[in-house]
Amino acid sequence: MSLYALQKLLRDVNRNPQAREAYFTAPEAFAENYELSQAERQALLTLDITTLYRFGVHGLILRPFTLLHKMPENEYLERIRRES
Amino acid sequence: MPIHFAGAGSHAPGMKAWTEAADVTQKDNLFNGYARLRAELAASGADILVVLTSEHWVNFFLDHISAFCIGRGTSFQGPVEPWLRVPQVKIQGDEAFADSLITALYDNDFEPSFSQEMALDHGTMVPLHFIDPEARLPIVPIMFNTLAAPQPSAKRALEFGRILGEVARRSGRRVGFIATGGLSHDPGERGHGRIDQDFDRRFLERMADADLTGLASYTSADFAAAGAGAFELLAWVALAGALGERRPDIVAYEAVPPWATGVGLVSYAKSLGITPPAAA
Repeated sequence: MSLYALQKLLRDVNRNPQAREAYFTAPEAFAENYELSQAERQALLTLDITTLYRFGVHGLILRPFTLLHKMPENEYLERIRRES
Repeated sequence: MPIHFAGAGSHAPGMKAWTEAADVTQKDNLFNGYARLRAELAASGADILVVLTSEHWVNFFLDHISAFCIGRGTSFQGPVEPWLRVPQVKIQGDEAFADSLITALYDNDFEPSFSQEMALDHGTMVPLHFIDPEARLPIVPIMFNTLAAPQPSAKRALEFGRILGEVARRSGRRVGFIATGGLSHDPGERGHGRIDQDFDRRFLERMADADLTGLASYTSADFAAAGAGAFELLAWVALAGALGERRPDIVAYEAVPPWATGVGLVSYAKSLGITPPAAA
């Protein structure tokens, strides 16, 4: 687990326009810049919000990230409340 | 010089960004409440505003977290959120006054961090937009760590505020205080949308009673049970510490589901002898 690196990546996408563009252009290459575990990389690249939340990503980092993906609030809440 | 103005209010982004989603009676009650604080601030003669506030991973991240951070910049800009429907403003800072706060805190067993450069998000800009929309007053923002555990204790927040109040009274400046955050809400977390009205009312009663012992007794578990956003009430506890025995009025409280927040407002204006012209 490298929750710090995972949250750093997500916050960079949220806050930094250059990082955001790089992520949306080539997410796999962008993720290489961060020391993620295989499970974290997989959850990120498949937008597995349930797993990202279960890994411990803070709600005020994860929710803004999902807003960039235009995920409606009810879908976001349903996904983070799912057990697995 | 006595403290010239003091109040506290919630900063739910929905208040500005999706205002119309709320029940109009609730919205009017809260907006009228903020209008009262605005009139009181204008009538108070305050010449600087100390903003006891929090932020949402804008300036600070887990690479460096401090319990309390004093903004000593010459100016501040906000809001960072383009969707907030709050106009961008540049607000003057006051480095010398910020330094006097930092020095006094160091002399009293607190070692806050300080920052020359802080961006302001909805946590600061929503209340400032309501009470000083033209950014007339310079500010010293003080950010509380409310996001990353462990957060400072309520007991320490109260003592921190007590020292700020002492400095304000000794300063020769006409100091106003605004605290912001809370009440119960759990933004982006599993309890998003849940509002604990019993917690909120009890907290407001303790503010109104100047029950400093009760306010200092809140634990991290108490705040967490009311939602992650309830840690923002540390700023209110600090405000109560600054005002000591003075008792604020509860100006408004509404549990607003579309804003996913228990929204409250208090004002110390009456206890400070402020009478806005409209209410005279």
